[in-house]
Amino acid sequence: MKPPVFDYIAATSTDMAVAALAAAGGEAKIIAGGQSLMPMLSFRLLRPSLLVDINRIPGLAYIEEADTCLRIGALTRHFQIETSPVIARHLPVLSAAMTHVAHLAIRNRGTIGGSLSHGDPAAELPMIAVLLDATLHIESVSGQRAVRAQDFFLDALTVDLDSAEVLAEIILPKLPPNTGWGFEEIARRHGDFAIAAVAATLTVSDGSIRQARIALTGVGPTPVRAAAAETLLIGHALENKLVESVARAVRAAIAPEDDLHASADYRRHLAGVLTDRALHAAWRRAQGEP
Amino acid sequence: MSEAPEMHVRPKIVGARIKRTEDPRLLTGLGAYTDDRQIVRPLHVAFRRSDQSHAKIRLIDSAAARKAPGVVAIFTAVDLSEDVRTLVATSRMKDYHATPIFPLARGKVRYVGEPVVGVIAQSRYQAEDALELIVIDYEPLPVVIDPEQAVRDGAPLLHEEAGTNVLVSREFKRGDIDAVLASAPVRVEGRFRMHRKTPVAIEPRACVAEYDAGRQALTLHSATQVPGIVRDALAAALDIPGHRVRVIAPDVGGGFGGKGSLYPEEIFVCAAARRLRRAVKWTSDRMEDLLANTQGFDEIVDAEIGLDAGGHVLALRADVIGDVGAYSIYPWTAALEPIQVVSFLPGPYRIEHYRGRVQAVATSKAPTGPYRGVGRPTSTFVMERLMDMAAARLSIDPAEIRRRNLIPADELPYKAASGIVWDKSGFHECLQAACNAIGYDAWRARQKTARANGRWIGIGIASYAELTGIGSRISVAPGMPINTGTETASIRIDSTGAITAAFGVASHGQGLETTLAQVVAEHLGARFEDIRVIQGDSAAVAGGTGTYASRSMVLAGGAATLAAQTVRDKILNAASHLLEASVGDLAVQDGKITIVGTDRSISFADVARAVYSEIGKLPQEARGELAATKTYDPVFGTTSSATHIAVVEIDPQTYQIRIDQFVVAEDCGKLVNPLIVDGQVHGGVAQGIGAALYEEVRYDPQGQILTASLVDYLVPSACEIPSIQVTHVESASPTTLGGFRGMGEGGTIGALAAIANAVADALSPLGVDINELPMTPERLFRLIEAAKAETRS
Ligand SMILES: Cc1cc2nc3c(=O)[nH]c(=O)nc-3n(C[C@H](O)[C@H](O)[C@H](O)COP(=O)(O)OP(=O)(O)OC[C@H]3O[C@@H](n4cnc5c(N)ncnc54)[C@H](O)[C@@H]3O)c2cc1C
Repeated sequence: MKPPVFDYIAATSTDMAVAALAAAGGEAKIIAGGQSLMPMLSFRLLRPSLLVDINRIPGLAYIEEADTCLRIGALTRHFQIETSPVIARHLPVLSAAMTHVAHLAIRNRGTIGGSLSHGDPAAELPMIAVLLDATLHIESVSGQRAVRAQDFFLDALTVDLDSAEVLAEIILPKLPPNTGWGFEEIARRHGDFAIAAVAATLTVSDGSIRQARIALTGVGPTPVRAAAAETLLIGHALENKLVESVARAVRAAIAPEDDLHASADYRRHLAGVLTDRALHAAWRRAQGEP
Repeated sequence: MSEAPEMHVRPKIVGARIKRTEDPRLLTGLGAYTDDRQIVRPLHVAFRRSDQSHAKIRLIDSAAARKAPGVVAIFTAVDLSEDVRTLVATSRMKDYHATPIFPLARGKVRYVGEPVVGVIAQSRYQAEDALELIVIDYEPLPVVIDPEQAVRDGAPLLHEEAGTNVLVSREFKRGDIDAVLASAPVRVEGRFRMHRKTPVAIEPRACVAEYDAGRQALTLHSATQVPGIVRDALAAALDIPGHRVRVIAPDVGGGFGGKGSLYPEEIFVCAAARRLRRAVKWTSDRMEDLLANTQGFDEIVDAEIGLDAGGHVLALRADVIGDVGAYSIYPWTAALEPIQVVSFLPGPYRIEHYRGRVQAVATSKAPTGPYRGVGRPTSTFVMERLMDMAAARLSIDPAEIRRRNLIPADELPYKAASGIVWDKSGFHECLQAACNAIGYDAWRARQKTARANGRWIGIGIASYAELTGIGSRISVAPGMPINTGTETASIRIDSTGAITAAFGVASHGQGLETTLAQVVAEHLGARFEDIRVIQGDSAAVAGGTGTYASRSMVLAGGAATLAAQTVRDKILNAASHLLEASVGDLAVQDGKITIVGTDRSISFADVARAVYSEIGKLPQEARGELAATKTYDPVFGTTSSATHIAVVEIDPQTYQIRIDQFVVAEDCGKLVNPLIVDGQVHGGVAQGIGAALYEEVRYDPQGQILTASLVDYLVPSACEIPSIQVTHVESASPTTLGGFRGMGEGGTIGALAAIANAVADALSPLGVDINELPMTPERLFRLIEAAKAETRS
C-alpha cells in the first residue's frame, strides 16, 4: 500500500495550478485535503504522473456572505464549514450535514472542493449542493465556467470536471424566510459514509408549503433530487397521508444498489423512513420550532 | 496446591488500583514498536500475494522485477527450500491431518493473500513497484469455499495429501443422549451461525531480522505475543541453536490472538537476513493484515437441548462445523478454535447428558487462529440462545432459568459433560450481582410499558465459565506437542540494589509490566516503583512461550511469587547478619529491612552492597547472589466466570440497534489491579460488541475477500461502545498460587451472547429468531420483513 512514483508541485496561485495541470496533459491530479486521494494512491487505483498541491494557494479558503448567497472557497475545510456561524444562520441544514462527514481529524483536512470533485455516491456535501441548487465555479487555462450542482454529478466518482480544471468556488443561495429543514442519515457507524440520507427544506406560508426540496445520498451513483415527490407537497400542509405518498414517490425516484453494507431493498426502505422524518423536522422548524 | 503464604500486611500492593507503568511511555509516543526500530540500511520486503483462492503455480517469472530500481533479491519457495526446514503443527489426536507451514506458497496457493514471492529492496516503495513486474502463471483449481460442501465426499481437496478437507474431527460424549432427548418433555433447537472475524490490532504485524555475520546470530524483533514459541520454531526451522537466535517482542500494539502464532513472514525475514547477511524488515500494511492475519471463529452449530417441565436441562446435543481456513496454524493446530466450541458448550450448567461432535474443515480462506475467547464466544452464543429459547417456551424468566441450571456452589468442583472440571467460582454470585447492578426487575417493568408504546427494548443475559491459566496437565489445543503449562520468573537484585524481574510472557497491551511488578513488590517487600519488569524477550528466561489464553497473571504471577519469596529469604539472611538480629525479628517492607519494634533498618541497596561489593562484611554463606529463578505450573488451571447483561433498543423503522446499558459481573479471583481488570473487561466487551453487531470477514463464492479495507470490515469505534459497568465478584481461586484467575478474554466471550439475547428479546413479539452473528441492520431488515410478511399472510 505505497503510492507509485509521482512528481509534485506546490502551486502558489490558481493560475500556476491550472498551468501545471494543462502542461501534464491529463496525467496530473490536484491534491487538496488528501483524504480521498491518498487512499486511492496507496491502493494504486490512481497513477498520476504529477500531484498539484493547492493547499498553499492563498485566498482559496473562505466563507463570504453576499446578499442572497454564500460564497465558499474550494479549499475551505469541512471543519470550518461545520463551525461557521454564517452558515449556521443561513444554511443550518449544511451545518447539520457536516457533523455526519467522517471524523474530526478528517474534517480538519478534507475540503469542500475535494468532496465535490471526488463525487462519492454516499457523501453529504454533494447531496447538500444538489439540495440547495449550488453553482460551482470552475477555472482552467482556457478560462472560467459555471455549472449547476444538478448537472455536475455524472456517475459514481465521476463529475463534470476536466483533468485540467480546478473547482474554485461554490455558491450556495441562502434559504428563503419561513423555511424549515430536516437532515436524517443512517450509517453503519458514526462518521461512516451514508447507507442512506435524506435532506429536505420546506418553505411555508399561511400554513401551506410554497417550496419543497428533497435530496438523497447513498441511494444511487449520484446524489438525487426527488423532484416529483417535491411537487406533491406544494400548496399543502404536511400531514401523515401526504408524507406517505411523498415517501412512496421518493422510493420510486431512486435506484439504489446492493453492496457489502446494505441491500438495495433496505436502502429503499430507509429512504422512505428518513424522508418521513426529514419532512416532519422541516415542517416543525418552518413553524419556528427548534 | 497450597495457598500463597500471607507474608505481608499493609499496605497491600496486590489489589491496588495502580496506574499502568507503561502508559506514560506509550501515550507520549516514547514507546518503541517493531517498526520504530532504527537499523543501519535495512532491506525491505514486499510480498506478492496470491490473488487466486485455489490454484496451481505453473510458473513464476521475476526477470523484469529483478532489474527494477532498488531490488536486491527476490525469493520464491524453491529458492528457500534449502534454507528452511518445514515445520508442522503435529498432534497426537487421531483423525488429525497436519498441514505444513512454509515461508512462501509451494506448488499451489490455497487462499487469497497467501505469500508467494518475496521481493527485497532498498525501500518498501521500490519493493512494491517491483512486485507489479512479477508474472505468475496460475492454473485455477476448483474453489473450496463453502465448509458444508467441503466436508462432503468427493469435494475438491485443498490438501491432497490429507485425503480429506476435514483436518480433524472429534466427539465428546456422556450419558445416553438420544434416549434422554427423545423422552424430554421440552426440546428446543437451532442452527446457529457465527461468522468469521479478524483481530485488527492497531499495530499490524511487523518483523525485522538482523543477522550478525561475525557471530552467526539472528535477532528477530517481531510484533508477536509468543516470542518464546517463535524462537523455538525458528531454531528448528533454520537449524540454529537457541543461543544464536533471539526473538524480542518490544512494545506490541495489541494482538487479541492474531499475533499468537508463528507466521510465514517471520520465517521469511530470518531466512532472507541470513542469506543476504543484512537486516530484513517487513511491516504489514492494513490490507495485508486483513488478508493474511489469522482470523477467528467461523462456525455452523446445529444444537438442541432437552428440558424437564421445570426448565432443568437434561441433555445437550451439538454438531459443529468449524471453517478453519487453508492451513492449521503453528503450533496450535487446526483443532484449537472448533474443538473448544464443543469442549465448552455445556457452559456453567449442570447437564448430565451430552454429545458434541465437531469437524474442522479446511477451506480456501485465511487460516483461523486464536481469537480472544477461542471457541467460547461461539459456544456461549449457542448455549445462551438455547437457554433463552427454552425460557420463552416454558414462560420462565431468563434469569430464573439460569438460576435453576447453574451448577450450585456446593456441587463445585464439578466435572462438566465434556470433561472439563470447574473449580469453585461464583457462578450464581455473578448472575445475581449482574441482575442487581443493572436493576433487572426494574428493566423488565420498563420494558413492559415501552412495548405497550410500540418501543422495542430487549434485555439479554449471558452466563459463562471458562478455563484459564491452564497448566501442564491440559493442553491449549488438544494433543498439541508443545507444552504451555509453565512460566518462569527470574528476579534479581543487582549490585546497585536495583530489582529486575524477567519473564517469558509477552505483554501486548495487558499492562503486565504493572501487575507483575505489583506481585513482585508484594512478595519481595520492595517498593512497586523500584521494580523493572522485562518480558517479551526469549533471552530473558530459558524457556517460556508468551502471552495468550488468559494465562499470564496466573502463570507468571505464580512464578513471580515463588521467585520473590526466595530472593526475600536471601535478603533476610544477609540482613540478619548486618543487623545482628535473627531473621524472625525482621520485617521487609518498602525496600527496607527493619528489626520489628525498633527504628533500626537497612535498605535493599545496603544489603546489595554488602553482598556484592563489601567482601568481608558477610560470611560466605550469606553472600549468595540476590537472585532466584522459579517456574510455576498451575497443573490444571482454574475457572473464571461471569454474567453479562445488555439492554438494547431497536428503532422499529430503521432497525438500528442501540445499546442502552451493559453490565458485567465477573469472578477473576483475587484482583491484582482492579483498574487493569476493568480495562481488560471493557476492551473485551467492545470486541464482543464488534462480533455481535459489526465485524464480519466476507469472501465471495470464488474465494475473493470482500473485506480488504477498514471501509468494508467494520470495527466498532468509541462512538459505538456504551459505557460498561463492571462488578467484581472476587472469590480467590482455590487452585492457583495467589488465588488469581485469568481474565483477558472473558469480556468477549459474554458480550456477544448477551447482545444476541437482548436483540432477540426486543424482537420477541415479532417471533424473530436471532441465530446468526453479527446481527447487522441488513440481516435484521430481512428477518423483520420476513416475519411481517408471515403475519400478513
Ligand atoms: C475514514 C474516512 C471517512 C470518511 N467519511 C466521509 C463521510 O462520511 N462523508 C463524506 O462526505 N466524506 C467522507 N470522507 C471523505 C472526506 O470527506 C474527504 O475529505 C473528501 O471526500 C475529499 O476532500 P479532500 O479535500 O480531502 O480531497 P482530496 O483527497 O485531496 O481529493 C479528492 C479528489 O478531488 C480532486 N480535487 C480536490 N480538490 C479539487 C479542486 N479544488 N478542483 C478539482 N479537483 C479537486 C482530487 O484531484 C481528487 O481526485 C471520509 C474520508 C475518510 C478517510
